[in-house]
Amino acid sequence: MSIVTVRIPTPLRPLAGGADELRVQGTTVGESLHALDAPLLERIMTSEDEVRSFVNIYLGADNVDALEGLATRVRDGDVIAIIPAVAGGNEAKVLEGHLAKLRARIPEVTPAQAVELQRQGAVLVDVRQPEEIAAGTPSGALLLGRSYLEFNIEDAVPEKGRTLVLLCAVGQRSLFAADSLRDMGYRDVRNLAGGFNRWKDEGIPFEIPRMLDSDARERYSRHLLMPEVGEAGQLRLLESRVLLIGAGGLGSPAALYLAAAGVGTLGLVDHDRVDRSNLQRQILHTDDGVGKSKIESATETIHALNPSVQVRGHELRLDSANVESVLEGYDLVVDGSDNFPTRYLVNDACVKLGLPNVHGSVYRFEGQVTVFWPAREHDPGPCYRCLYPEPPPPEMAPSCAEAGVLGILPGVIGLLQAVEAIKILLGRGDPLVGRMLFYDALPARFTELKLRRNPECRYCGDSARFPGYVDYQAFCAAAGH
Amino acid sequence: MRARKDSAIPPSAERRGATPSSSRPPAPQRTLCLPHELRGRLAAWICAGYPYETCGLLIGRAGKEATEVEDLVQARNLNRERPGDRFELDPDAFAATDRRVREVGLEIVGIWHSHPDHPAIPSQTDRTGAWAGWSYLIASVGRQGLFSLRSWSLQEETFVEEVIEP
Repeated sequence: MSIVTVRIPTPLRPLAGGADELRVQGTTVGESLHALDAPLLERIMTSEDEVRSFVNIYLGADNVDALEGLATRVRDGDVIAIIPAVAGGNEAKVLEGHLAKLRARIPEVTPAQAVELQRQGAVLVDVRQPEEIAAGTPSGALLLGRSYLEFNIEDAVPEKGRTLVLLCAVGQRSLFAADSLRDMGYRDVRNLAGGFNRWKDEGIPFEIPRMLDSDARERYSRHLLMPEVGEAGQLRLLESRVLLIGAGGLGSPAALYLAAAGVGTLGLVDHDRVDRSNLQRQILHTDDGVGKSKIESATETIHALNPSVQVRGHELRLDSANVESVLEGYDLVVDGSDNFPTRYLVNDACVKLGLPNVHGSVYRFEGQVTVFWPAREHDPGPCYRCLYPEPPPPEMAPSCAEAGVLGILPGVIGLLQAVEAIKILLGRGDPLVGRMLFYDALPARFTELKLRRNPECRYCGDSARFPGYVDYQAFCAAAGH
Repeated sequence: MRARKDSAIPPSAERRGATPSSSRPPAPQRTLCLPHELRGRLAAWICAGYPYETCGLLIGRAGKEATEVEDLVQARNLNRERPGDRFELDPDAFAATDRRVREVGLEIVGIWHSHPDHPAIPSQTDRTGAWAGWSYLIASVGRQGLFSLRSWSLQEETFVEEVIEP
């Protein structure tokens, strides 16, 4: 016989004369408990000598159920604790009754049965909230949510005879959803018992879907309302990488709006510092930034607008040696450069790498936009060299520093470039390929010109093989630049 | 039988302050002392657990008229079938906490749990599972956060509300 301590929980102390623990003798847990006074013993054990369902018996740190039950042997000094089972819950009588009725009407399936049904062609429909779905959902499930389920289901599953398995977190919301779909005429609607929680608990594989988080959902809500963008389009923008050549007059508005629109990665190429004379049009920079590098100043402004955008600064002068390493990995280029050597270099590199080149330029009250994209799969367009095999003479193409520019003009043109960039990233609409849009602010007139591919172009022509980069400074100097 | 003068008091006034099922004069209302800091901790757990029921233990000292809560412990809700509206407190957590607090002269003085999207009133399920001698602190929680916090204790099969004070 050993001497052990039995710890009494507060609720049972009145049955133990108020004691919080008692010393008893026994060789096993059961024997020790039998040494307790009858009223206390009856409260914790049945007449069949079993522990009542509302208490647990612990020996030291272990539930005796995990040991040898009441037959577990005890030693001197052991501590037996009577642990009251603590349970309760919420009351929802009307709801309870309602759920019971729904359960009676709608067949339930286990996760394993759902997987089998899915294999046979059934559709799993996840009706949880986006933030719940973001943490995981069964592979292949339709993520329709609950709010607009009835509005979207017919587009997603037109066949009314198809088996649907609805799921939520625990299998309750999905019951209501299932009932509603039955009312809409779906003939075989089932409910996933235990919901996604049970799915996970049973170790059945699931996937983490590509979804917008709640911040992104709020930020881009006006995009999400548009069928041309929607969640899929917004995710595409977030995964896109756009390189802006120049963080100046054209690059500023383009970068700001592309960042606001949620283009995930913006590359900026500029080697310059902010000058006070830039501020009349280069709205990425502020008066405080005068003297700072344009990359640093632009990065701060973009992050203030949309901190989730990744800004990659390329603080360098583009040349034949570095151009490909800079352009590599971007989906498209927005060229806002202000000089011919850079335009030719960017053009040649885009042709070689197959990237669309959204080109813009401005002069006083006029601007022009086009997309050079010879590598486009359908209806390829010309490259810059198809248009200008050689740089025009300087008197035909003065720079802003020489000729001046209305500060707002690059805003208009830079934003047209940004719109073209977004259209290309989303695969929507007709990009300005093979067309050039001229804007003349004085008469307030847009004019569209057709641009033709030159099949003989040395860079993008039908039988052209990339002839290599040239010395662009020398090439343009030959034309007097 | 003729009515005595003092029985002219309407029954509803006679029973004011008692729960509807009790016709006895009410016992003096008990107090649950819950410091602000613990209230904050509790709110954080309960809100983080939403939409599921969360539960745990109240630790402190219980007297005849008041229970002083000195610490809180969160325990797992083992109810996997209906974690949204049922709780089953992990007995391992209970046993471990009981051992720990006894060593420092404290004891488990009650249970806290949340009612997601429901009022902080004991349910029939709470009543069925309740033990005498403990405070039952119930938090009503919704998507917007903690809505209300009320404490109850069982007196002769009936839940009577306790006053919560800091």
